[in-house]
Amino acid sequence: MANLKNPALPGDVEFDTFIYGAPPLAYPASLSQYAIYNTPDAGFSTGRINVSAFANLGFATPWPFTNTNVPLNGHVCVPRGRGPFPLAVFAHGNHSPLENSTPGYLYLCRLLASHGIIAATIDVNFLNGSNFGENDGRAIVHLEHLKQFRTWNNTAAHVLHSKVDLNRILIVGHSRGGEAVGHASFFNRLASIGAVLLDGSAGLGPYRFGLSAVAAIAPTDRQFTPISGPTVVPDSYFIIHGSQDADVFTFEGYHTYERAHAVDQANPTVADGEFKAMLWVHKANHNQFNSIWASESAPGAAMPRASQEEVAKIHLGSLAQAVLLDRVEYFDVLRDHRAAEAWEPAGVDLVSQYQDGERVFIQHNQEGIAAPVVSLPVQGIVAADSVVATRQLTALTGGAVTTTITLRLAWTALGGRLLLRVDPSTLPAERYETLALRVGQSTEAANPAARDQDFTVEVSSGSRTAAFAASALHRLIYPDLPPFGPAKIVMQTLRLPVERLVERGVDPADLRSVALVFDRRAAGTIYVGDLQCSN
Amino acid sequence: MQSLPTPPKVTAVEVVAAQPTEADSAALAHLSALTNRSLPQEVYVVKVELKSKPPVTSMAWALYVNDVLIPKYWEYKDGIYFVVLDPEFFAEHKGKRLRFSQNGVDFHDTGIKLAAPTKTAAASKSKRKAKDKQARLPTQAEVLK
Repeated sequence: MANLKNPALPGDVEFDTFIYGAPPLAYPASLSQYAIYNTPDAGFSTGRINVSAFANLGFATPWPFTNTNVPLNGHVCVPRGRGPFPLAVFAHGNHSPLENSTPGYLYLCRLLASHGIIAATIDVNFLNGSNFGENDGRAIVHLEHLKQFRTWNNTAAHVLHSKVDLNRILIVGHSRGGEAVGHASFFNRLASIGAVLLDGSAGLGPYRFGLSAVAAIAPTDRQFTPISGPTVVPDSYFIIHGSQDADVFTFEGYHTYERAHAVDQANPTVADGEFKAMLWVHKANHNQFNSIWASESAPGAAMPRASQEEVAKIHLGSLAQAVLLDRVEYFDVLRDHRAAEAWEPAGVDLVSQYQDGERVFIQHNQEGIAAPVVSLPVQGIVAADSVVATRQLTALTGGAVTTTITLRLAWTALGGRLLLRVDPSTLPAERYETLALRVGQSTEAANPAARDQDFTVEVSSGSRTAAFAASALHRLIYPDLPPFGPAKIVMQTLRLPVERLVERGVDPADLRSVALVFDRRAAGTIYVGDLQCSN
Repeated sequence: MQSLPTPPKVTAVEVVAAQPTEADSAALAHLSALTNRSLPQEVYVVKVELKSKPPVTSMAWALYVNDVLIPKYWEYKDGIYFVVLDPEFFAEHKGKRLRFSQNGVDFHDTGIKLAAPTKTAAASKSKRKAKDKQARLPTQAEVLK
């Protein structure tokens, strides 16, 4: 990690910030915060789009346009130099439309631009209000902004001509905008949505951008559901959410995360090559990810705003470095947040998950709620001794019904063991770098408050067994109590490098068993998502 | 500990036939083709009058008619409203309770039932009368004033 620079620190690339908008616009005095878009910078005039098939405008706000001609307004930070530069585009979520939410991500745009990324934050305020189900509209607005950048990139003599790398795009959304980027990722590949053509013939689309990743900050989930069912994000996906979120307090995005790049039980060896990563931030709240929005937390409940923005800069910065600038070493931060430990504000507790694009499951638990099994195509058996192993459809984060099964393990005395015995000829562990296990503790009575949970992971090949304390792989921290509702069980990915097994004499080509041994705490209750061989 | 958000209180519900917008007309044509049914060129604005509107937050109170989620709703001066394209919706759901939920698991009964539309153009027996009535239907903006 010594070679990695803190991605939250400004880079050395100079940049200019432009306002873009769709004149003629004349916001009334009551919307004076939007007046900056009345006169966009030279060359940065945009067009209007018709979103009436998706959304109505907020009622109580005197917008100087209708839903058939909403403007493409935004702020963009453009690095100086020839380019082409990757593109990152941020979108806000639902908030009082009388307050312009758009500039709230300029702190992130400026950071990314200083590292050589064109970074924009867009105006979707006209969809804000006491409404529901408009997140498809937010997605369309987001994609139309990307289209605007493609137009500028293709326009000779424009400041952005040939400067935008349209195959390296990161879309980031917060709150309802965070749900919308998932829909945008899905819509990006479509030719139509219901009656609405996305081929350009009616003004919307075509899209088909090269999305390097989709990032959701404290997103909602399923407020809009496509006719085909809940959106499954097809691109690489990153999510960040705070334990003190008093708006999206049920961690809805957890469900989006679980649906993305899940095992296909009909083709369990097939991985789509896309990764997903999660960061759960203790004491972060909802609003402080936007520098404009006032904190929604009771005094003292959330971390200071500056700390929360710093966490966002470190982790979204790492994501951008990794996927937009090809600095693959920053994937270390996505794989395990401890890679960023030295840069984090003091006292911040984090939980992270990572699933690589290349993986094979030893146990994914999605076969049903019967007794746990080793997952096909890996062959094997599972034996539980002095531990109650129950697969269940538990909404680990509270709130909405979950479709993901987890394995609950409960023990009341030292010495319990869950053993997965596998046929080594069906498990090519030697092709992977890591054995990865997702596990988290709950606030149930068997887990003492404020104490890390622990157990031993034993891995065997033939006569050689290597044992590792889970706590040596990662802390399994006690859940942070939320502002309301039940505490969330957020699993941590424990990553055991295969090379450490080799160092202990375990042959990964002959891996015969993995056991969780409950010999470090007299009692406990933990939840296991899956066990995989992964990169 | 902060307290959990509470659902909006519904005071009345009213269903008014209105002219479709251009987007509604396209959606009506699409729905008609999908279901192989002829649909009247009118929509039904369901006005749900609230004691106070839901807060402008990202979490939302999803509105259900019994177990059926209303996919989208919007704000008007006295509350929220949604637009129904297919009159069959009322045949199936008239008299069922309006409920709010934030998670699809815990529901809050508003105590108010879905009403049927007031007289519609489609109810007219002759085609000409129906056409005349359609032309006289209020716009949605007028309905929501």
